[in-house]
Amino acid sequence: MRALCWNGVNDLRVETVTDPAIINPNDVILKVRLSTTCGSDLHLIDGLIPTMKAGDVLGHEFMGEIVDVGREVTKVQRGDRVVVPSFISCGSCWYCQHDLYSLCDTTHPKPELQEPLLGYPTAGIYAYSHAFGGYAGAHAEYVRVPFANTDCFAVPDGVSDEAALFISDAAPTGFMGADFCNIQRGDVVAVWGCGGVGLMAQQGAMILGAERVIAIDRFPERLAQAAAFGAITLDYTQVDIIEALKELTGGRGPDACIDAVGMEAGGTGLQQAYDRVKQALYMETDRGAALRQAMLAVRKGGTLVILGVYGLMDKFPLGLLMNKGVTVRTAQQHGQAYVPRLLEHAQRGELTPAALATHRFSLEDSPTGYHMFKHKEDGCLRAVFMP
Amino acid sequence: MNAKASETQLDAAAKAAVTISRPAEELRTLWLRPDTQARIWAHFADVVALDNRTAEWVAHGPAGGEYRWQTEMDDSATSELRWSTLEGADVANTGSLAFRPAPGERGTELHLDVRFDPPGGAVGEAVSKLFHIVPREIVLKALYQFRALALTGEIPTTDPQPAARNGGTDH
Repeated sequence: MRALCWNGVNDLRVETVTDPAIINPNDVILKVRLSTTCGSDLHLIDGLIPTMKAGDVLGHEFMGEIVDVGREVTKVQRGDRVVVPSFISCGSCWYCQHDLYSLCDTTHPKPELQEPLLGYPTAGIYAYSHAFGGYAGAHAEYVRVPFANTDCFAVPDGVSDEAALFISDAAPTGFMGADFCNIQRGDVVAVWGCGGVGLMAQQGAMILGAERVIAIDRFPERLAQAAAFGAITLDYTQVDIIEALKELTGGRGPDACIDAVGMEAGGTGLQQAYDRVKQALYMETDRGAALRQAMLAVRKGGTLVILGVYGLMDKFPLGLLMNKGVTVRTAQQHGQAYVPRLLEHAQRGELTPAALATHRFSLEDSPTGYHMFKHKEDGCLRAVFMP
Repeated sequence: MNAKASETQLDAAAKAAVTISRPAEELRTLWLRPDTQARIWAHFADVVALDNRTAEWVAHGPAGGEYRWQTEMDDSATSELRWSTLEGADVANTGSLAFRPAPGERGTELHLDVRFDPPGGAVGEAVSKLFHIVPREIVLKALYQFRALALTGEIPTTDPQPAARNGGTDH
């Protein structure tokens, strides 16, 4: 089959590789209908996350049609159109039983690589380096999906392939962030980042009853999409964000702030230059301007949700969180806990993730798609690949 | 004791624990199945049952090195299994697995303890050099694989498609 392979820093090529096959009894093989780029892929492509190997097939956000099933698979069958969360979860362990799916105890094939870094291994994930399991990704014609009874969700009529695609990762990650805010009547939620996850966090906060959602970014087309979803938008290159948020909240500050940016955050001024130099020298991996700003902006006793992907960061103002009594919530997506609900919201038109699909490419042209996505050319919000 | 001896002794033993949300008796039965032993130690050695209590182990080292031994299991206690190598082992070793109730409804704690006595005694060759794998990794991975097997009936793997290069191997 054809697949998009990582061959080294910023070296992506579409190659002919071996077809996947059923290995374990709970596996299925999916014929990929659509897959998409994710901001976190850029960390892998740029070499900011170690333990990638030349030849690794990229892609962790996808949907498709089941073409082969293992002998223990009972909940889905050949021909089903399904969406699959990016974390692989068994459904049987203590973590899965408590809806903490990305912390699954049993799906990491190489726990010895991750245990020294995190203390305990997490769930395995498709195409996210060998420290996260080394599973082959979905920018390919076919992908092997373990634990199909837990991880495959049939897409109902009325939900398009493109809408279902983002219910693999961007939508459940964003919605989980909004859920973590424990939104109460009158709450204002500010979201840093209007990429796929940020926009889905904004729509999620609206669905969960936020009084007002404020979206922060610097790209006009992304801010325009946030405005189309009903958010108030702020361009951080044009206004002082802290002052603007105080103005919009009567001096209280947002009740909850969501960082949907992560380690490649832009920024302004000296702090940005300092962060970028240290990152280039591998003295830290993260720039972190958005997170520091969110920490300062959140109201006293408010909630800070971190959805952006981080590795190491210095100059982290921990005392600020303590003195303001901030509750911090963070996780990789526990997608399996949210997907059924999100498919219903999409079916009713309350969640509109297909709006993220701004550019479409054949799998053969996927390196061009990544280039466009990385450099945000032509207003590219997400590049979608069709094998 | 000099520094080298101390390091080697530390290198020769490892213990680890996991909690599995299943009753101790069920886990004990699963552990004792010959096919379970073969599967959970596969990262370290080929284990073949000779009879109910004894098994033959073949561990592979760097440059084609091969180390063989036989172990005998003592399963007389319900809350603990013990095994040790028989006479003539290339690398003598002992192991024990204790089953303890976990608090709340968390199931059973498994405490695995393995000690190697490499040739040459306390100052002999380091275990990690013999096997190309450190004892902590031997023990931890066996427990993680056992947990996956006990909870899901399978052991997670990306072999034969970890990365698609070279027909699907990452070696």
